[in-house]
Amino acid sequence: MDLSVFNKEYQHQFVVTQTVYDAFQQSSGDHNPLHTNQEFAQSKGFPECVMYGNILNGFVSYFIGMMLPTPDVIIHSQDIAYKNPVFLNDQLDFSATVEDISEAVNTIIFKYVFRNQKGKVVAKGHVQIGVI
Amino acid sequence: MDTNQILADVQEIFRDVLDNEDIEINFETVADDVEEWDSLSHIQLIVAIEKHFKIKFNSKELMEWKTVGDMIDCIAAK
Repeated sequence: MDLSVFNKEYQHQFVVTQTVYDAFQQSSGDHNPLHTNQEFAQSKGFPECVMYGNILNGFVSYFIGMMLPTPDVIIHSQDIAYKNPVFLNDQLDFSATVEDISEAVNTIIFKYVFRNQKGKVVAKGHVQIGVI
Repeated sequence: MDTNQILADVQEIFRDVLDNEDIEINFETVADDVEEWDSLSHIQLIVAIEKHFKIKFNSKELMEWKTVGDMIDCIAAK
């Protein structure tokens, strides 16, 4: 496959809804009070419960699994750096671009960023995929 | 860059990517000599080497490599 087909800008809006929050909590089993107890979150300086950071990794999974030009892909590795907290019902604008292509091993590295509805970067990182 | 310096750099990349500080490679090393060097880690090695040396390989070059020395020669020629 000509890997240049991946070389475009990808954008999508994700919302951390109650359904998303509940599903992640159930699947992860993470009941840390920062995510579940508003009083606790406020005692740590946050206005309300902080959403699970790894929900955003789920959104990256959607990007790789559903937004690329082909389903013939597999994730090799990914990293994420959290810059600002995400709260319930935040609307996150996701964008990703190709950072590097290694034709010899059918591999593409994307860099991505999530911004909240205020335009603040909440997380950014890279995801490396292989074309299978 | 001479081939000994390239080998030293590649060895550091192997240690980092394969998470083993004890790895020693030389020009005659083959994949079977390094326990952690499998098909998936090979991809990570190639990506890391391309990034480090700011070069690109093609699949034909990779197919021709039999030893680390072949890889080093390919890097040196770029």
